[in-house]
Amino acid sequence: MPQPSTAYRLMPEVKIRRESFGGILYKYGCADRGALSFINSPQLIDLLIESQQQYDGNVSAAIAHRRYSESSKQKLYAALDNLIERGYIQQEI
Amino acid sequence: MTDFVRFIERSPRHIGTIHPLALNALQEAGTPAPQPPPTQRGSQRFLQGGLSAPITVTWEITAACNIACVHCLSASGRRRPNELTTTQALALVDELADMQVFQIHFGGGEPFIYPGIWKVLERCTERGLVMCVSTNGTLITTERARRLKQFNPLYFQVSLDGGTERTNDSIRGKGVFTRALRGLELLAAEQHSLTVNSVLTRHSFYELDRLYEIAVSFGAKLRVTRLRPSGRGRDVWEDLHPTQEQYREFTVWLSAHPDVLTADSFFHLNALGHKLAGLDTCGAATATCCICPEGEVYPCAFFQAPEFEAGNLHTQSFREIWQQSTLFDYYRKMGSGACSGCGQYNVCHGGCPATKWFVHQKLSIRDPECVLA
Repeated sequence: MPQPSTAYRLMPEVKIRRESFGGILYKYGCADRGALSFINSPQLIDLLIESQQQYDGNVSAAIAHRRYSESSKQKLYAALDNLIERGYIQQEI
Repeated sequence: MTDFVRFIERSPRHIGTIHPLALNALQEAGTPAPQPPPTQRGSQRFLQGGLSAPITVTWEITAACNIACVHCLSASGRRRPNELTTTQALALVDELADMQVFQIHFGGGEPFIYPGIWKVLERCTERGLVMCVSTNGTLITTERARRLKQFNPLYFQVSLDGGTERTNDSIRGKGVFTRALRGLELLAAEQHSLTVNSVLTRHSFYELDRLYEIAVSFGAKLRVTRLRPSGRGRDVWEDLHPTQEQYREFTVWLSAHPDVLTADSFFHLNALGHKLAGLDTCGAATATCCICPEGEVYPCAFFQAPEFEAGNLHTQSFREIWQQSTLFDYYRKMGSGACSGCGQYNVCHGGCPATKWFVHQKLSIRDPECVLA
């Protein structure tokens, strides 16, 4: 779970594409063709694209704008923590 | 085109022709096993349905090459008569960008012989496409290495097929080892992002440590890829492809060198029991495909067989070919063939279809280098 003053931010090298099952995250510069993850949650993909297009990659700002319920936020932050581990998102204090 | 037949029993949304030999081979391979349950992990369940666009496109932008490697997968040498013009190439970059392809991997031939390469790289930069250029390194000059800094993000793969002059030049030609090292030196001096790309052969196997040292000396990563019997590779396959024992030792070596890249090309070795990093399945026609100099589109760079041409950019758009080609539709639904029932199928997915095709003209068989054979 994030600290109150912690912002989740997409790494600038991350590209996102919608697919029928959700979408793909691709981070270039760290492997053969970049790191690649298939995300089977269209809602998460929508949030990340919105973060990139409207909030300069600031995922926390996009979350605040969307007004999720507390239980939804818990799930969302768990997913975002996983993306931090995979190197797509960083935490800014 | 008289050798081709239109296969009319597919869905109307599928277009193009499919060669009878390809059709027969794909049908022999059967249909996929039932879809895995939703709890199963792995990339294949996402890839099998077909993505809206490739993740990476390999684009052999010219067949012209100033050297003549004995194993060249595309049998390059001279420029071909109907190669895409620069205007066509720029339009193709726009189309790939519109489809949100993430990366273009330029190869050939030698990409720096293509007259429009600078404009193409410029357009890729403008459109935000990640670029990787696979080069033999011999045409890199100080001026070119500096000029290339304007393109971003751009990565280079410089080919070395041995850690010594003797081994490398026996495959890539006399004097190429020294010239390639010079190219690496010039690119490294400009702080380009580099990998040393090396095809694993039964001779270069003994020089993996040396290749690793060379890569490190240029601040580069080593990328080892699998030899395929495509192009001129068919002629030297029997002499050069690694032995089963070498493959076993190679997996041990890889686990001791986790920073070495493999282009996900050795997933057939997963059947040995140690899963390698990366995709565990063939990405041809699903995650990637290959565009050849004269506009031919194939499932991957190693599957440049006329029977498996999915379409041609002189007459169709890339989007049409990717999304509606009958050949790709069949390819994506290819079954496990002789591997059906094998306990290791879930980790190797039957290996490389292109290798099967070029060695035995069948897709329903086990990978000719299956480690369980």
